Amino acid sequence: MKLVGKSLARDGPGSVKLLPEVDDDLWDAYNLIAAGDSVEAVTVRKITRSGGRDSERVKLTLEVAVESTDYDKDGSVLRVRGKNLSKNEHVQIGQYHTLEIELRRPFLLRKEAWDWPALDTIRKSCDETAANADLAVLLMQEGLAHLFLVGRSVTATRARVEVPIPRKHGSGAVAAYDTALKDFFQRVLAAFVHHVDFGLVQCVVIASPGFTKDQFRDYMLLEATRRGELRAITEHKARFVLAPAPSGYPHSLKDVLAAPSVMSLIKDTRAAQEVPALQEFYAMIAKDSARACYGPKHVEVAHERLAIQTLLLTDTWFRNPDVAARRKCVDLAESVKKVGGNVRVFSSMHVSGNQLEQLTGIAAVLRFPMPDLDDIEM
Amino acid sequence: VPKTDNQSDLEGPHRNAGPWLCSICSQQNDTSCMSCEVCGVLRDLSLYFNNTNEPEGGAKRRNKHSGVSVLARSLFTPSSPKSKAIVFSDGFRGNKNATGHMQASLGTLHKTFMTHKQRHNIVPFKFDIPSPDDMVSIGLKSSRHLRKADTSVPCVDIPGKMVMGDDDLVAEKDTSTDPSSSVKLDELGGNSSSVAANTRNETLILDNELQHLSLERKPKNSKAKIKKPVPVSQYKPEPWMLQGEDQEMPRQLNLAIVGHVDSGKSTLCGRLLHALGRISKKQMHKNEKEAKEKGKGSFAYAWAMDESADERARGITMNVGVAYFDTKNYQVVMLDSPGHKDFVPNMISGVTQADAAVLVVDASLGSFESGMGVNGVGQTKEHSQLIRSFGVENLIVAVNKMDSVEYSAERFNYVKSQLGIFLRSCGYKESAITWVPLSAMENENLVTAASDTRLSSWFHGTCLLEAIDSSAAPHRDVSKPLRLPICDVISSHVLGQVAVCGKVVCGAIRSDSKVLVMPSGELATVKIIERDSSRLSSARAGDNIAIGLQGIDPIHVMSGGVLCHPDYPVSVASSLELKILVLDITVPILPGLQFELHAHHAKVSASLVRIVSLLDQKTGKASARKPRMLTARQAAVVEVRLEREVCVEEFGTLKALGRAFLRSQGSTVAVGVVTRVVQRELELQ
Repeated sequence: MKLVGKSLARDGPGSVKLLPEVDDDLWDAYNLIAAGDSVEAVTVRKITRSGGRDSERVKLTLEVAVESTDYDKDGSVLRVRGKNLSKNEHVQIGQYHTLEIELRRPFLLRKEAWDWPALDTIRKSCDETAANADLAVLLMQEGLAHLFLVGRSVTATRARVEVPIPRKHGSGAVAAYDTALKDFFQRVLAAFVHHVDFGLVQCVVIASPGFTKDQFRDYMLLEATRRGELRAITEHKARFVLAPAPSGYPHSLKDVLAAPSVMSLIKDTRAAQEVPALQEFYAMIAKDSARACYGPKHVEVAHERLAIQTLLLTDTWFRNPDVAARRKCVDLAESVKKVGGNVRVFSSMHVSGNQLEQLTGIAAVLRFPMPDLDDIEM
Repeated sequence: VPKTDNQSDLEGPHRNAGPWLCSICSQQNDTSCMSCEVCGVLRDLSLYFNNTNEPEGGAKRRNKHSGVSVLARSLFTPSSPKSKAIVFSDGFRGNKNATGHMQASLGTLHKTFMTHKQRHNIVPFKFDIPSPDDMVSIGLKSSRHLRKADTSVPCVDIPGKMVMGDDDLVAEKDTSTDPSSSVKLDELGGNSSSVAANTRNETLILDNELQHLSLERKPKNSKAKIKKPVPVSQYKPEPWMLQGEDQEMPRQLNLAIVGHVDSGKSTLCGRLLHALGRISKKQMHKNEKEAKEKGKGSFAYAWAMDESADERARGITMNVGVAYFDTKNYQVVMLDSPGHKDFVPNMISGVTQADAAVLVVDASLGSFESGMGVNGVGQTKEHSQLIRSFGVENLIVAVNKMDSVEYSAERFNYVKSQLGIFLRSCGYKESAITWVPLSAMENENLVTAASDTRLSSWFHGTCLLEAIDSSAAPHRDVSKPLRLPICDVISSHVLGQVAVCGKVVCGAIRSDSKVLVMPSGELATVKIIERDSSRLSSARAGDNIAIGLQGIDPIHVMSGGVLCHPDYPVSVASSLELKILVLDITVPILPGLQFELHAHHAKVSASLVRIVSLLDQKTGKASARKPRMLTARQAAVVEVRLEREVCVEEFGTLKALGRAFLRSQGSTVAVGVVTRVVQRELELQ
């Protein structure tokens, strides 16, 4: 994202003008825009004239008071719905309009209060130096494959392939197994070719339990030499990395990203920082269950005693449409920071953030054991 | 012309009713014509409405003769605004966006039905009512048949009586000319004629349908062809299912071969098959030659099981292999499972229906210990825990590679004591474990008693084949409605485009009978039943078979699905309550844990929604407080949400479909049983 203009006061009102450049920026914008803010952007609206007979698409600049936002990660679309605020010959004030925030089109965001998570998001998003590692992960197991594109703050599922693979039946019936496996590879390769553009994707990880990954790589390279249109694969052979995975289901992605060989590829990205942070939490709960807690109630109790060393929370909390609840969460994170704790905000669009979200979305690693947490009702 | 998958609709009682009158243009048409020659209107409009009417299942389907005439009337009477809605909803059937609308219009359809019931002056299509002659002949036929069925099962008294009751009903209705009752008659007639045609079953279903006729009028827009399930308690097995139960026929035994990687499972299987003459000399010679060429001479026997190029190249089994051999008492279906850690999912889905198991343990120094898991969980442990939770009670422990330890009795006893402690902790009874020292490579103590004096000097027990042969007979439950979890979906020349493999868990199946394929809810007809490439006419609980299906699209048949009795569908759920036992894990289980759930042959990604309660290990009582997390060896009740619907049953109802295995990060974290199936929301709408 590019910061085009800024006039604001911390924890006070103000506005920024931002220019989203890549898909991830839309996610950041989604996190920034909350109900109650106002957004101004160029938009197109269908205007009906002369008694509803003719209609015309008019390009306008509208400012809306945001009521709801909607983000589709797989299609990378961000829509902002609200009532119009700007006076204009086509749209009345108070009429509803839905703005679509698009790439390479600036928008102006006005907030009543710019809290630190919002400023943090802008800072991170506009950080040019941060690596934009576009990583494609092909997560497979026999008969099931998922293709993910891992961006800075969003992991998008691009394809899912499922083919039933039968067992081996008696002697000579291995043919059925082989045919099924070949059919499976063929489909995975088709999905791969369709979704992976080597111009954008820096690196491809093929992960699976067992030998499926090796089998597929061999198949793919063989096909690539055989079919001219797949030359790109042969050319970028060096960009393929194999990694072990516990299964082909989406939630195994976090284990793939945690593998050392993959970690080195994504080391500067947000995903790379989130994965170990969550692992640390699980390691702590395995080692000493009294030194880790989760759930808003327990975390709050732990904070009252200044016990929080690392606070883990998902960005969903900052998107809470309930302003009071959002405020409370922001304050909690703020005061944890003040007393020397770490705060890690996870993108709920990444696999580890998703895992944290399942676990109430908030968790903490504590400085000292709090065995009495068990006695407090969640 | 829309095709119908329900042949009996076409073979309805009006088949032989002579020339028929077109409802629109009054043209006399020939019997063989499916549609009117002049205006092209279908003769039997039920074809049009198959799709909407089918959801209500059997009772509803038979109802359609009455319903269709109403529909048809409203269709061709432009003055009725309701009818338009019906047509519309029909046209857009399957479009999910139109669900709300569909519901509304189905409501009007429902009203139309009801009003029809009250108005007697509306005469339905002529061809909807069988001619009086038909009624008589059908009545006779059905009563004749029913009597026959009745006498053939003297042991089942109550259904017999019920049937008699129905019979009287049929006779009564015969004399009546009331249109509404003729509708019922028609249904009965249609039913019994189809009974005569193929599956002369349904005696009891007939009864059920009579009850349902009045109850199930309201059309539902839920998943196709699944009607409100009839309580399983009402199910009575049909006579043919019980036939041959007592016959002295070798019974099937599904035998799982499990154990740590490289303990010699495949070699053991290959050896057994070879010794029993199941592998031709030529084949064996070929394997030996090829194995030697690859420098893997010792793999020659394993290659009888591991046929794929990859498995051979790597020297490990990757997928479950199926082979057949016969012993004195059993027809054995041998399931050779992969031992490698990464292939445990394959092992679970391939072996879950085993009746008995052989745990192969490598006796050689170091190998046994790694199987027991020096660091991490070894597969000897993991597999024996899994096999126990599959419901296998009797275990044969084959202590393999005794040749490498000079057939030492000490080593054998050491293995026995070490493993014995663990097996008992898994819940195996001391008496249910048979210990067999053997060497697959040297063919010692496999099919005949040991010949090497080093072994025979101290071991006087049974050889492996005898141990297998003397396994306790598996319990077979034919008294419950059919359940067959689909293990594999294949297609072959013999079995046809769509064929499934699996073990009949309960009930029975035979060719030409109709089955419901869940979770898709489509009906199919059984064409061919095969076991080890030999044709069978029927199969009962416990049989591991391959079935060729007809009249169904392959996309509706998935491994992990279940074939069931059309009137007693298996429950389908995407949310479950499980009672789990946590295995030896290092990272505790927290809510939100994402894992793979295995239930029979189904695999699905799932997440733990909440921990309901912790169970006391000894008393089994639930703790009052909700625990924060679950650690190793704890038992708890949890709620899980599945990514996709699976067919399961509560453990109390049907054990084989009520077991679940939870795997996360490449190891089995917990095993459990389904305590509650949360019904799918669709039906609550």
